[in-house]
Amino acid sequence: MQTPELSPQNCELLSALADGELQQQEWPALLQACVHDPAASGHWNAYHLIGEALRGPGSSVRLTDASFLIRLNRQLARQPGVGPEFQTTVPVQVSMPYSSVVHNSAPTTAMGARGAPASNDGYFRWKRVAGFACAAVICAVAWNASVLILPSPRPQLAQSGALAGDTEPLQVVVASPQGLMVRDARLEELLTAHKQLGATSAWPVPSGFLRNATFETPQSPRR
Amino acid sequence: MNFKHFRSLALALTPLLATNYVAGQTHFSSIPTAAVVESRSINDWLMRMHESSRNRTYIGTYVVSSGGVISSAKIWHVCEGNQQIERVETLTGAPRSIFRHNDRVVTFMPDHKLVRHEKRESLGMFPELLQSTDSRIADFYKLRTEGVERVGGVEADVVTLVPKDTMRFGYRVWTEQKKGLVVKLQTLDIDSKVLEQAAFSELQLDAPVKLDKLVQMMGRVEGYRVEQPVLIKTTAGAEGWLLKAPVAGFKPMSCYKRPATQTTPISSQDSLQWIFSDGLASVSLFVEPFDRQRHDKESSMSMGATQTMTRQIGSHWVTAMGEVPMSTLRLFANGLEHKK
Repeated sequence: MQTPELSPQNCELLSALADGELQQQEWPALLQACVHDPAASGHWNAYHLIGEALRGPGSSVRLTDASFLIRLNRQLARQPGVGPEFQTTVPVQVSMPYSSVVHNSAPTTAMGARGAPASNDGYFRWKRVAGFACAAVICAVAWNASVLILPSPRPQLAQSGALAGDTEPLQVVVASPQGLMVRDARLEELLTAHKQLGATSAWPVPSGFLRNATFETPQSPRR
Repeated sequence: MNFKHFRSLALALTPLLATNYVAGQTHFSSIPTAAVVESRSINDWLMRMHESSRNRTYIGTYVVSSGGVISSAKIWHVCEGNQQIERVETLTGAPRSIFRHNDRVVTFMPDHKLVRHEKRESLGMFPELLQSTDSRIADFYKLRTEGVERVGGVEADVVTLVPKDTMRFGYRVWTEQKKGLVVKLQTLDIDSKVLEQAAFSELQLDAPVKLDKLVQMMGRVEGYRVEQPVLIKTTAGAEGWLLKAPVAGFKPMSCYKRPATQTTPISSQDSLQWIFSDGLASVSLFVEPFDRQRHDKESSMSMGATQTMTRQIGSHWVTAMGEVPMSTLRLFANGLEHKK
């Protein structure tokens, strides 16, 4: 993440390669650029990390480098022209929409923490965008990692609470003879427990078991 | 088949003893010998249904319709000797692969890269349930044959298990003629309206399914996080709970305690699950500490055959849930008492 030797164009090509979308004719140029850039493998890993973070709940991303955040904050603090109001908002902007992460992250993450001044070093706005993108990436990774680090005891909880990314339990309104009813995460949890342990009856195993197994598990909301 | 003998015996006894014969029903509630016949016939029928599931290998598509929602799954079932294994791949809702090897259940949740291991004691309980002298399914249900229908491409005998009181629902069951595999099952309310139904839309009997291959698939957990829910077996008495008046036909089956997990606010408290069954229907009573924020008002709700009602008892919140009429749940919820 530290060297911007790769041009933004080549960064985009590298990103496309990480996503499996690189056109065949673009291969030679990218390989050429990578051969001359010792930091290319760093970029390559970063794109994979970003990709995995964005791919959602099942990804295996772990936030292992806490010192990175500290270094980033320190570096940002040292940047001339970066106002204090910006620094305070850097660490945890969890509500960052994914789209902004996607747009900003690829070409700009490399900008924030470099010693030698870049050609656009004089533009304060550019630094802001770079810092903002870094924060966005960190937040995206941290968000996903936090979901993985906290083990969820039951799938219903995972779907409705933690993975939805909000603290309020998910509520689903269902139609019933008594009118519209609210099915919340706790009720789903109890329903599952009842189906699992309450199936103590003379029905032969498969019919009771199949009925319960087939019974639809509500899907987590799509992002 | 034994059942046929009993049925003809029952039919012969009917005019002879001039009892209350209702058209289309074989019903002998007032005569002890006939009651024994009925009890044996319903148990024989259940036993045959049970045996059929043990000795068949099949692949099929199972569809469940409940409370306006249709769910379906593809099923693989193999039985070799005492080994029974099943694979269920859900086709609707969240993707799930569920494997059951005898009483061990493994659920794969690919969307969360999570796999859950469980042991379900209740799954192995059946023959014992019928053999025990406590089993009184025939005291609360009567069997009525209804003819023959075609389901999932096979000819099936149709019977109805009619409840003898209003405390439970009825069932209409389609069993495949040759061996008695259940191919369709309906839960009926007091007025015989269908609350929920499940059926094979397509069934391939004696399909080539390999047991060892399914066992292998069941053990393939690389890349998944494995979790094992913690359940502590206990008794309601030990936890200080008592059902003042027993609900007719329902016997306590088991009781479990779920220790609190601190991961989400909604499961941060200990909870208790006390399970009752009349042999066919089951009821769970969940008890958890009362929480003013979450437990705002007592309510009831029905989803297909499953009814739910909540009630506050002192500093506890009780959720009664089961495939029984709401009035039966109310008896449970009102009869529950906490001993200090």
